[in-house]
Amino acid sequence: MSSSMSHGSSAEPNLTPILDMVFQLITFFMLVINFKTASMDLDLKLPVIGSAQPVETQGEDLLVLNINSQGQLRVYGQLIPDMGAYIANESAASLIVARSNGAQIKAGDELPSTVVIRADKSTPFTMLNRVITKCQEHGFRKFALKAMNKEAEAL
Amino acid sequence: MRKRKHRNQGDVELNLAAMLDMAFQLLTFFILTFKPAPVEGQVMLRMPPPQPVTNVNAGQNAGTNESNTDPAKGLNTLVITAISNPAGGLRQIAVGETTMGSVPALDRKLTEVFKSGAGFDQVIVQVDSRLHYDDLMQIIDVCTRQKLPSGEKLSKLSFVELPAGAG
Repeated sequence: MSSSMSHGSSAEPNLTPILDMVFQLITFFMLVINFKTASMDLDLKLPVIGSAQPVETQGEDLLVLNINSQGQLRVYGQLIPDMGAYIANESAASLIVARSNGAQIKAGDELPSTVVIRADKSTPFTMLNRVITKCQEHGFRKFALKAMNKEAEAL
Repeated sequence: MRKRKHRNQGDVELNLAAMLDMAFQLLTFFILTFKPAPVEGQVMLRMPPPQPVTNVNAGQNAGTNESNTDPAKGLNTLVITAISNPAGGLRQIAVGETTMGSVPALDRKLTEVFKSGAGFDQVIVQVDSRLHYDDLMQIIDVCTRQKLPSGEKLSKLSFVELPAGAG
């Protein structure tokens, strides 16, 4: 039991500012934790090439396709059973987006959207080519092949 | 014993210690589960479907002969071939008829080809169906670093799949 010999006022820390700061940090982590990784399948091991540079793609219409080593297509963590139908739907959606931005595009024309391909380094070309060919059939011509520019550090 | 502050009747004091403790628990949870997204680079390519190769390395440029109504005729095409071993690794590369065994050799050959001023209407990469994406990207990396006679970097490639074991 602590006893104060003096009769001066006891000091009680004001917890309000520290609580406010903690809530700020919590809010930060809650907002940062999900957004960017939602569209990426982080199980994929991307190839490493030195010339791969990050590019700012803010505002561009992107179609992100994750292809694992078995050639399976994953989008937002979900396995896509019918790749052709999915790409056809995305192509139609890209056409609508392009027209809403004022582009005079007919069905069958080249689409301005970019297909972002994230494939595992051991994916055989035949599986990758199936996806690329399907995208080309539906008007996609611009592709971004994702790679790391250095080996990811082990966590 | 700590002196209690004299309170007026009706004053409500909020004890923030419990709330702060809970907030720290949440913060610890989010810090431990936070996994920063890796910074990924990319190679931008324009990949049209491959056009028929009907006239390899002919001297005529497409579009110069007005009597030629067939756009497929006269297409100057650079063909790069990548053959894989059964494990999916790169076994052999060829530029036209010239074969080489490594990616640096491909780099030297392509630099020599483009420096000679030869213009190509399309660059086709024929790839063994077993070749792994990792090795394919090494080839694409070399191709996209080449400079065309116009000064632009090569960014338009077409891919053709070769059956396993071809070449």
